Amino acid sequence: MAAAKTRSSSFSGNLSSAASSLGPGLKCGPNGTVLLSSGIPDLDKILGGGFPLGSLVMVMEDAEAPHHMLLLRNFMSQGLVHSQPLLYASPARDPRGFLGTLPSPAASKDDKSRGPEPDQLQEKGLRIAWQYKKYFGENQLNFDGQRDGKHKYSNEFNLRNPLERHFINGQRVDCFSIQDSPDLSILQDRCTTFLSQLPRNDGSISCAGRIAIQSFCAPQCVYSNMEWEMLSFIRSLKNMVQSSNSVAIITFPPSLLSPSFCKRWQHMADTLLSVKAIQDDDKELAQLLTGYQDMIGFLNVHKVARINTQVPVILEATTFSIKLQKRRYLILECLNQAPVDGSSGTSYGTSGSCSSSSKTGNLDF
Amino acid sequence: MAKSICTALREGALEGELAPALTIKDSIASPFGLQVFDHVLSQLFSSILAGKSPSQGLILVSFSRSPSFYLELLKNKGISVASSDKRIQILDCYNDPLGWKDQLVEISSTVTVFREVKHMDKLFNSIIELGRGLVGGGKIRFSIAIDLVDEMLRRASVSSVARLLSNLRSHEQISSIFWLLHSDLHKARVTAVLEYLSSMVASLEPSHQLANGQRGDLENFALIEHNSKKGKFHVRFKKRNGRVRVMSEEVHMEQAGVNFTPLSSEGAINQGLVPKVQFNLQLSEKERIDKANVVLPFEHQGDNGKPLQIYDGRRSLVDSKQERAVAVEKEESDSQRGEIIYYRDSDDEMPDSDEDPDDDLDI
Repeated sequence: MAAAKTRSSSFSGNLSSAASSLGPGLKCGPNGTVLLSSGIPDLDKILGGGFPLGSLVMVMEDAEAPHHMLLLRNFMSQGLVHSQPLLYASPARDPRGFLGTLPSPAASKDDKSRGPEPDQLQEKGLRIAWQYKKYFGENQLNFDGQRDGKHKYSNEFNLRNPLERHFINGQRVDCFSIQDSPDLSILQDRCTTFLSQLPRNDGSISCAGRIAIQSFCAPQCVYSNMEWEMLSFIRSLKNMVQSSNSVAIITFPPSLLSPSFCKRWQHMADTLLSVKAIQDDDKELAQLLTGYQDMIGFLNVHKVARINTQVPVILEATTFSIKLQKRRYLILECLNQAPVDGSSGTSYGTSGSCSSSSKTGNLDF
Repeated sequence: MAKSICTALREGALEGELAPALTIKDSIASPFGLQVFDHVLSQLFSSILAGKSPSQGLILVSFSRSPSFYLELLKNKGISVASSDKRIQILDCYNDPLGWKDQLVEISSTVTVFREVKHMDKLFNSIIELGRGLVGGGKIRFSIAIDLVDEMLRRASVSSVARLLSNLRSHEQISSIFWLLHSDLHKARVTAVLEYLSSMVASLEPSHQLANGQRGDLENFALIEHNSKKGKFHVRFKKRNGRVRVMSEEVHMEQAGVNFTPLSSEGAINQGLVPKVQFNLQLSEKERIDKANVVLPFEHQGDNGKPLQIYDGRRSLVDSKQERAVAVEKEESDSQRGEIIYYRDSDDEMPDSDEDPDDDLDI
């Protein structure tokens, strides 16, 4: 009986018994939602478990850095590893070529170790845990790793190793180029056919699908100046996705849209992320943040999807640094202030900017 | 840094990567774009001729200047075009872009006239054809220089120009590509599109911004003149690891061309290694002198061990002087033993009294 279970809020719905029979790569989330992994364990943790089925994720690209591709690669690989059907649309001539760059899951043997080695932890005596929050994650990480059997909900992906061919072939993987389409009707039709295979019933969910649309308003696409058409496409995609068992991710460069449309697109998203480039050899930033040398960019979480609930998510921090651990694994870390600098909020506003325009970066601690 | 740009263009693309693309943008306030373009062109071409680059040839698409100008330019730089016939081809979109003239006198074998600038796909095909004719097919690469993208944008839509440029970048035979843009001729979105498509953006800015953009004021004339000879050259590199490298230099216009020098210290970015804090940690000279003059309320201070008279408001001056004099002498004699001399805060208070000072409060 649901009453015996602890509820997180008084508005949460009853978890139906059908939720127990979920396909691989899916897990139950709060408020009766089903989640699938983004392919980046850190991002799943930040978002409260993963992307909910039926949500639209939008990623705002930075024209100066290809970090959105890292997010897309992990997302697509995770879907292929769990045999989830995938639809990929990109403005490149040959989108299938991108599949060759998808990373493979990391072998459990060379599991990355975070923080200090175990021997150092056994040191006796007083240790001062500078930036103590970094150490909290360790215990949880080990615990999660042991739980699942064959199918882990979320994998670490090794960006150095390409995904094995058998994951890509013989799968329901559909790629096509959106560069030459005169309008969005072809893309619309493809999405409709894809999503018709994944209707949402009250029964069990055997598999969920993923849609990845890269650089949606890229300038080389013919339809890229048809702003209203693009907006109505996004709206119809959002509606279709909501009534199906899938997650759609759209990346777009906001600098190529007019400001009002940029705002409209942001409002369409259920989950909104943005990636930002980081300036090389920025002495001010190096003084302000620890670990600046390893960072390759910033990830901002602007909005987190809340389905079936009115309770908003308030994150501890919304800006994370993107790092490549051992040059293979994508990790997201909270920003940690360097010890020397004793300044307060006013100085971050000016030092965080790394784009050529005059807008300042928002570093949120 | 102009050198790093030329190096990046010279090295070209790695296998499986998009070709490096440079956008040179200038504006009316700092109009040296064409000269910088010429500089980069001659640098790249001489490295191609010297065999320092994987690129075997150069295709120059000229919109804003006649091909003979470029042939002259290269000759003046000491590069003989006659012998390098096999390494450069100029696609002439200047003399007859829309196909109005019936026939044109052929200038030289290095120049091919192109008559359909409205059609970007035809332009693309011509460029590739010309390139293949120059270096052959297969895997041999060549570089492309586009004189003025503004002319292309005049006649074709932004998306078709963007498609041309991105297809050129992703073509397997193209080693590197660069173009010039006058940024104030277009809406901001167009400049943003071209920056999106390029891996390096070099912008020319005036060294002194004119006040309120008014150009008629007398004070501004001096600035305008200054700006017509010098400017700032900012480059933003998009590196492979996802970081952005920002560099700046000063550029001077000279007879022979442009000259790049490192930034003078007035525009220094480094502000020293002192961390930014809200309070000022440094002392000015005056403050240092004043600090030395401050009399601190410590005992046993003052010149030559003489007691300093600090009036503490509780005793009469005379008494305190005497008491302190006694204490100082005593201390001097007992210096080996290290005594602690303690004066109670209030002389009314009896030592170790059990009185609770709060007792006399009426609560």
